[in-house]
Amino acid sequence: MKTTVVGSYPKPKWLLRMIRLYNEGKIDDKVMNEAYEDAVRAVVKDHELAGIDIIWDGEMRRDEMTSYFARKIDGFVIYGEVRVWGNVYYPKPAIIDELRYKEPLAVHEFEFLRNITDKEIKVPITGAYTIVDWSFNEFYKSKGEAVYALAEVINQELRNLVKAGANYIQLDEPAIPTHPEELEIAKNAVEIMVKGVNVYIGMHICYGDYSKIFPDILDFKVDQLDFEFANRNFEDLKLLKEYDFDKDLGFGCIDVHTRRVESVEEVKRAIEMALEVVDPARLYIDPDCGLKLLPRDVAFKKLKVMAKAKNMVEYELGLT
Amino acid sequence: MMATVVGSYPRPKWFREYLKRIEGLQKDLDADMGKEILKKVIAEVIERQRKAGIDLMTDGQLIWHDFLATLATRIEGFVMDGLIRYFDNNLYYRKPIIRGKLRRKGEILWDFRLALEIERNLKPVLSCFTLAKLSKNEYYSNFEELLWDLGEIMKEEIKGLNVEFVQFDEPALLFASKDEIEVARDVFREICKVNAKAILMTYFSSAEGIFPEVLDFGFDIVGLDFVEGFEINIKLAREYGLKRINVGIVDARNTKMEDLKDLKAKLERILEFAKDVHISPNAGLEFLPEVKAFEKMRLVSKLKEEFG
Repeated sequence: MKTTVVGSYPKPKWLLRMIRLYNEGKIDDKVMNEAYEDAVRAVVKDHELAGIDIIWDGEMRRDEMTSYFARKIDGFVIYGEVRVWGNVYYPKPAIIDELRYKEPLAVHEFEFLRNITDKEIKVPITGAYTIVDWSFNEFYKSKGEAVYALAEVINQELRNLVKAGANYIQLDEPAIPTHPEELEIAKNAVEIMVKGVNVYIGMHICYGDYSKIFPDILDFKVDQLDFEFANRNFEDLKLLKEYDFDKDLGFGCIDVHTRRVESVEEVKRAIEMALEVVDPARLYIDPDCGLKLLPRDVAFKKLKVMAKAKNMVEYELGLT
Repeated sequence: MMATVVGSYPRPKWFREYLKRIEGLQKDLDADMGKEILKKVIAEVIERQRKAGIDLMTDGQLIWHDFLATLATRIEGFVMDGLIRYFDNNLYYRKPIIRGKLRRKGEILWDFRLALEIERNLKPVLSCFTLAKLSKNEYYSNFEELLWDLGEIMKEEIKGLNVEFVQFDEPALLFASKDEIEVARDVFREICKVNAKAILMTYFSSAEGIFPEVLDFGFDIVGLDFVEGFEINIKLAREYGLKRINVGIVDARNTKMEDLKDLKAKLERILEFAKDVHISPNAGLEFLPEVKAFEKMRLVSKLKEEFG
């Protein structure tokens, strides 16, 4: 049984200020990079203090989960922002040419983090299906072709991550449940992405109707499936029981959409429910999703509660 | 032939930031904003359409946070619920719930009325069937009653607008059952008695589900999506003798710019049986970044020039 994070963490306010200055051309790359590194150090300290077992860098350098990667891959351009809903917009990439590897997507993040902590590390990266689903396609004849081409690019990055020493990689694929009819494409894409990548692979899927992807999702070539459970009051655990869930479980048990900090007792009860589905050794306890939209003190408190609940369950089971 | 748009247009950046500042990201949207600011941004978007060569313009639906919320929050009886996906788009809307009898509580399209002060040559965009269908009904004992009440409200709204054209965006019709289509026919026949030329706009799919009933809806112009359903829609319109068509022919959901020659060849096939057509993108332009939205409008007007 281990605690981990999905990926993002609130950016310190001073970092947001630095990013604004950088975008206005008032500070240079060197200073900006130093700021990112200092922010990562702060996040790592928060994670360590909270007692998280497997950490990430809080995605301090990433502004958004599609365009951040698209900018680093040949074949994408970004014309501007489009709406997701209400006042929420994102820079939607467009594929205008063959997709090709250009520069590291996450290796640089991993290498820096490896140097400043002894903790276990998980590297999250947005999956090929989701990036293509959230982009315009002007170049490839079909969505499948575009997804597979991008999967090859990501495969190269995953291989580089392994060379750099990463041993736990998480593919973020929140778009998968939105088109259940394209599960086959997403599944093939995973196989391309992890080809020759012999480390522990997780897949994170949030915000969807999971009933539409079961049981097919169990055939995906990943070691772990990570879902949000707190957001829907843990009802989806039923699905796992119904279909003989046989992967490791990433168990989202902290609601990231509310500022209310869960009690240790309720998280403990949630973990006990998860243990009805998987053995302790196959359970990875984390929040439902990235924590970036919460105030930093709330995010920290939530992680702390989560770690404490896990320690109590372990103690009661005699696992420590 | 008339060059037009379907309705929505991407918000200019300054306006996007303004709305984010006064409304935040998720609390109560549809804030009470300064009319002067709204007029300023509408004028800007009207100017973009004029510059692109659009004949029949819209107000750009610039304070519409999603396709349903604006109408629903301005009609008594609706409350707003959580986010849900809008057809097959990566775009979400708040699901309206009908908790009480639907009643008109005043002008619905007050933002469109502001736009009319700037420019008269605009068509308002409303919705009746789609609003009813995508809402959760917790009040009416059946869909028919609900649609009639909503239809009456829409009819009242049009009466007060004093415009040449009025448009109903009804993508949900394409996915409706035959029973629902028959109810829609009766309600639209009543709505279309108003003193304006009524346009029915459908999109996101081919239109086999609404034929032949749509011919009796009472609309002067029927809009079909010739990006998603080119061959099927040609066959339907030809077979059933539909002549006054809004031809949604430029893809509003992909940044890829169509070849003018291809578009011309496609439109020529439609003009074999249709006449006095409106040509437009196949959906609202808010699915695109502004720079591409403008280019798509230019493409529509260039296509019209080809038939000069």
